[in-house]
Amino acid sequence: MKICYSWLKEFIDLSLSPEELADCLNQIGLMVETIKKTDEDIIYDIETYANRPDTLGHLGVAREIATLLGLPIKTRSWRVQMLEEATTDLIDVQIQEPLLCPRYCGLVVKGLKVGPSPEWLRKRIEAIGLRPINNVVDVSNYVCFSLAQPIHTFDLSRIEGGQIKIRKARKGECLRTLEGSQVELTPEMLVIADQNKPLAVAGVIGGEESGITETTTDVFIESANFNPTSIRQTAKKLGLSTDASYRFERGADINAAPVGASMTASVLCEFGGRVSQGLFDAYPMPRRPKTVNLRLKKINGLLGITVEPDFVVRTLTGLGLKLKEQNENFWIAEIPTFRVDLEREADLIEEIARFYGYDRIPSQVTPANSFTLPGERKRERIWGLREILFHHGFDEVINFSFADPEKEQLWQSGFQAIKLQNPVSSKMSVLRTSLLPGLVENAVWNFNREAEGVHIFEVGNVYSLEQDNLHRERLKLGILTGGLRSQRTWKQPEQETDFFVLKGAIEDLFTYLGYDSPSFEPIEHPFFQSGQSLEVLLKQDTVGLIGLLKTDLARNYDLERPVFCAEIDLAELLQRQPRPFKFQAIPKFPGISRDLSFLIDAAIPYQQIKQQLEKLPVPYLEKFTIYDRFQRKSLVPGTISYSVRFFFRHSDRTLQTEEVDRIIQEIISQLKSSLKITLR
Amino acid sequence: MSTLQDKINNYRQLFFDRAAAVKESQQVEELRQLFLGRKKGYLTLLFEEFKNLSPEEKKTAGRVLNEFKTEIQSKLSELEKNFPVSGTITPIEDLTLPGRQLYWGAPHPITLFERKIENIFISMGFSVEEGPEIETDYYNFEALNFPPDHPARDSWDTLYINDKLLLRTHTSPVQIRVMEKKKPPLRIIIPGRVFRRETPDPTHLPMFYQVEGLVVDKGITFAHLKGTLEFFLKALFGEKIRLRFRPSFFPFTEPSAEVDIECIVCRGQNPECRVCGGSGWKEILGSGMVDPQVFKNVNIDPEIYSGWAFGLGIDRTAMFAFQIPEMRYFYENDLRFIRQFNRK
Repeated sequence: MKICYSWLKEFIDLSLSPEELADCLNQIGLMVETIKKTDEDIIYDIETYANRPDTLGHLGVAREIATLLGLPIKTRSWRVQMLEEATTDLIDVQIQEPLLCPRYCGLVVKGLKVGPSPEWLRKRIEAIGLRPINNVVDVSNYVCFSLAQPIHTFDLSRIEGGQIKIRKARKGECLRTLEGSQVELTPEMLVIADQNKPLAVAGVIGGEESGITETTTDVFIESANFNPTSIRQTAKKLGLSTDASYRFERGADINAAPVGASMTASVLCEFGGRVSQGLFDAYPMPRRPKTVNLRLKKINGLLGITVEPDFVVRTLTGLGLKLKEQNENFWIAEIPTFRVDLEREADLIEEIARFYGYDRIPSQVTPANSFTLPGERKRERIWGLREILFHHGFDEVINFSFADPEKEQLWQSGFQAIKLQNPVSSKMSVLRTSLLPGLVENAVWNFNREAEGVHIFEVGNVYSLEQDNLHRERLKLGILTGGLRSQRTWKQPEQETDFFVLKGAIEDLFTYLGYDSPSFEPIEHPFFQSGQSLEVLLKQDTVGLIGLLKTDLARNYDLERPVFCAEIDLAELLQRQPRPFKFQAIPKFPGISRDLSFLIDAAIPYQQIKQQLEKLPVPYLEKFTIYDRFQRKSLVPGTISYSVRFFFRHSDRTLQTEEVDRIIQEIISQLKSSLKITLR
Repeated sequence: MSTLQDKINNYRQLFFDRAAAVKESQQVEELRQLFLGRKKGYLTLLFEEFKNLSPEEKKTAGRVLNEFKTEIQSKLSELEKNFPVSGTITPIEDLTLPGRQLYWGAPHPITLFERKIENIFISMGFSVEEGPEIETDYYNFEALNFPPDHPARDSWDTLYINDKLLLRTHTSPVQIRVMEKKKPPLRIIIPGRVFRRETPDPTHLPMFYQVEGLVVDKGITFAHLKGTLEFFLKALFGEKIRLRFRPSFFPFTEPSAEVDIECIVCRGQNPECRVCGGSGWKEILGSGMVDPQVFKNVNIDPEIYSGWAFGLGIDRTAMFAFQIPEMRYFYENDLRFIRQFNRK
């Protein structure tokens, strides 16, 4: 909202420097966004709020400054040249919807000479960023931006039958607006009509036909008050936001309507107009003034200050409230109609705070009588999980929750995507059902921009529409690795990433989270190349997927490199109780390691070997690792060679070589029978 | 025979002379090489000679040679004990070559910044709460004192799923959810993703991150709000940062305050400043005393309890703190951008 220094001076005697005035405006919350100095004036662009329609006119802003500085508001009277005729003789106003139009004021001005506005008026109009049109339209805007009371002017000769009807639109009615567009009206919209047809959409926009033209001589001035909700719904439906609708939907001052009509008429007299006798003012259900109780104790208690009762009275009186002291330091405040925002004690306390000055309120730490113990440590665990992934060299990304329905189709996640009713764009019109499409896009983006390796993860929600119209959101972890894992240096050759880089990270995650090691089972899934993916299981339950991205999918992104990805259901995983951490005594006695190399049928997967090794009925076996695995022509065809290092330890004594030899023999015979191994 | 014995005697003399002169471990190794070296060690050569002797001669020579070898070996190991190891390690040729660096993954700047904020509040005894991203109109608006069809909703332009469900436009609905479940005193923060129907531009995107704070207790004042937020912003931006509290409007707080911080880019010195537009101030968060209507909506008596709340856009604050010119960088996930943040 643009405010001019000189315009404010119509209402108060100001003698501040432009900067001082800006400081004043900032203090009371009318934040100055820009200050523009012209030759004769200073124009402030100030921030206004949805609950303060009174500040959408210069008078309202002047009242705030007057209160802050202790200045009086100038009283202005609106003199007019009178016609012989009474307003009601010239126009017949009927309000058919008093709930949607609680007050309607009007005057007729005759004998006008429509033309360009005089310089003073043009300057006012230009200062607030509008284009001067003609003196009548400019006056309406001048009054609107003075009082925050929208004014509409009709060419009297265009009002058929001399009748103004405030009624709801009829089905099929249309209006060509002042902006030149044709709008279709619907029956819940309030219109200003004559005998036959709508002339204006009430409180939103006027019609072209009844608008002021150069040939207009007689004008009907409308200064009314309309129901905010109705105006808002109509404006939204028509896709229009006008200076009038902006004010009405926030709540115009019901008592500004008569003033607006008089002021408009008075200024129009400067252009030869003469005004009808007696203001038409239909206000069938006058509003009782609102009252609010105010306690000094509550003011000080909520703000943490000590204000003088005098200050309270002075400030609120300055703002137009009428205070009646009921008891000591307890008032009943009558709220002026222009302050639609003041309804409760807290609202009045804010007024005190604004004028007291937020900067004068002391700064104190918030006291606490007790602290709550952190309950679930979910966030902490997720952060720890991030750190494991950082350690594995994965960078974190964050993608939008939105997805492109065409891409979703391609991926076939198996979940039904949630659609947005009013998306920002068609490419963002559903919610993602998987984190992987986003990660793949990130990989492509980076491969196209010099990245030789992309190792990324995201922690975030995916969304799906479930049975019974349940809209579900679920926290997942997506991980992707592709390209070089490390570049060649003088010390080591370059390393390409692989499936096991990803699998290792996931295994470490489970360890960190305090769960048993996950198991992996082959699975076919639309994301992954056939035979190249596993499901990740904890105990018996699937908690994720891992595999090589399907080539068909990769091709859609022009992605040529193999990319491995995994998606873990964190919501599922984190609700499981981790194994409690328990300290284990440091071994007192040394252990012994033994290596075993054997050949085994190449068709047997490692998982099976591992299971057998874990099941070995031998004592003192602390751990085993496979340290070599190869398949060579020199070996028996169809076999594969494994080398396993076993590590044995007795907790209470040093193991004897002979004991370990016996155990190894036992292992060999066990494996020979269970896995048909042959020693190398 | 005598020649061999003579040679041994000479070598023994030589060996023990040299052994006596040893001053560092490297000399021990040199001595070992001199006598036991695989090809040209004196003793190795003597054993070569031994091969050519007659079986008769071999008998004594073998014993003498082996005795000599044992003698040398035991002296060498004694010397090794006295002048330990380093001599056996190959010296590094060029210490100025680059070290082996480990690549440590980078956190996303939003996560990083959010954690920074969380930690400040956790240090003040706050706990962290979360809530759903798909919300109802009630929690997102009504319970927070946004009347239906009120222009106040315009600043929270909403993405709807259907007539009842929407994507939360702020983290404030979680305030309501927590207050419905837990009794005061409360001191919580709520970080999370929020959504607005915004056309993307350098400072607006349809998704971003917010953090919300809420304190509810007996006797909570506006002064407490000021003091705590001042502490928070100083912890985040440095002790010397200047702050400004000014009146504002939010449906769910009354009185409301917006907090500006001094522009850390120009400190108010550049009228053309790209960051603050020359005003010297940057809007950083919205706050206020919890509106009595909000308390009533969750059955907390505003005559007994009071509270303060704030909300801050993490993206914009991080942009300001790190001087990132474009908000979309956060969601493009260019690794040349992300990877800068493993240094923070």
